[in-house]
Amino acid sequence: MEKFRRIAKPVSQLLVFGLLSLSLHLPAAQAGMIGTETIANAAQAQQNRAHIQEALNRDGVKAALVARGVDPSQVQARVDSLTDEEAQTLSGKIDQLPAGGDSGLSLLVFVFIVLLITDILGFTNIFPFVKHPAHRP
Amino acid sequence: MRNSKTARAISGGFFILSLLVLSGCGTLQTDRVLQSAAAFPQPVELTAVPFFPQEEYQCGPASLAMVLNATNASVTPAGLVPEIYLPERQGSLQIEMVASVRRHGRIPYVLRPQLESVFAEVASGNPVLVLQNLSFWWYPKWHYAVVVGFDLSHGAIVLRSGREERHVIPIELFERTWRRGDYWAMVAMPPDRLPFTAEETPYLQSVVPLERLSRWQETASAYAAALKRWPKSLVAQLGLGNSRYALGDLRGAEEAFRKATQAHPESADAFNNLAQALADQEHWAKARQAARRAVELGGPQSKTYRETLQLIETHIEKTN
Repeated sequence: MEKFRRIAKPVSQLLVFGLLSLSLHLPAAQAGMIGTETIANAAQAQQNRAHIQEALNRDGVKAALVARGVDPSQVQARVDSLTDEEAQTLSGKIDQLPAGGDSGLSLLVFVFIVLLITDILGFTNIFPFVKHPAHRP
Repeated sequence: MRNSKTARAISGGFFILSLLVLSGCGTLQTDRVLQSAAAFPQPVELTAVPFFPQEEYQCGPASLAMVLNATNASVTPAGLVPEIYLPERQGSLQIEMVASVRRHGRIPYVLRPQLESVFAEVASGNPVLVLQNLSFWWYPKWHYAVVVGFDLSHGAIVLRSGREERHVIPIELFERTWRRGDYWAMVAMPPDRLPFTAEETPYLQSVVPLERLSRWQETASAYAAALKRWPKSLVAQLGLGNSRYALGDLRGAEEAFRKATQAHPESADAFNNLAQALADQEHWAKARQAARRAVELGGPQSKTYRETLQLIETHIEKTN
């Protein structure tokens, strides 16, 4: 339940942002100049669809950053400095990407792993799920 | 009987242990690098790179502040926290580290996953930001540090890391932790200097996103630097033109676009942008000529080419 509640909030925010951006974020036609980004990126056939998808991604990233404790007043500038590709990666994998910060092995986990290994090796018998089949001669 | 059982249990345990410890084990690049140590006989160390000892969980801001300050951008780790720190994850993501470099008008360039690239950058004066996993994949401890030196004859590497200004460790140990970070390494460059190991397409792809932030001065300078190394690059030529155009330098933009049309007579984008730069200077006849060429060549942006031509022709008809 708790987990569901944690997930429900960012998901609903993402949906709301997404639906809003469908109506607000239609691409402004660029008059005259062809932008360097367009020239540098080969795939241009689906540009309009990509625009809408991109707006969805960016709003999704905003919601995701706020949900993970970033000050809402900082979010816009952080999202603005991302490329489309980066925004897409971030909106999909924000919890899977490595976050460099040294938050490391807690002692508890370490002890658990050591005891698990000693259990498997047959020196201890702490965890019921580690089976020690008795071999009869 | 009992002995064989114990032996089996022990060997099984060792098998699991070695799976956990040695996973992803392969040959290290270190051996290859040390064999070619003659290329860098002298130890290299960038002593001028500043040191910021990290606060808890803040190795991202501290490391980034070090590489940015090495390019004369004055930022502090505390100033970078609101740009890259992700409180719930107690750390910083690589993508946001890269994005933050752009916000400070520097070019973030991610290196090829090779020790040689790291050493080549350090040897040419660029400190290298790296992501390491100091623990194992099954319980990661992600950490950012800055490579500032190496000594191949002693097989040592020098890092600014955590609270240590000179963290000197064997290259082999560094490589093991860096490999678990997927060999991720980045330099932050002032726009007028290319990374030593820069390659054309990835470098330009690192410059283009600064346009989104309207860092036109920086992009103009980076495209110009790229053209010195790759004089024929279409993206750099058009990027230079677009940057100058955005800065209001119409004549400079025209010059860059004209060079692009000469080096790439098949590029409709180059002709279209040349036409626009000429039209803005009211060189209508020349503008129409360039716009017509763009429409003839066609391509995915042909709708824009036709619009450009139409605008120019409407103006010419009105004045006649």
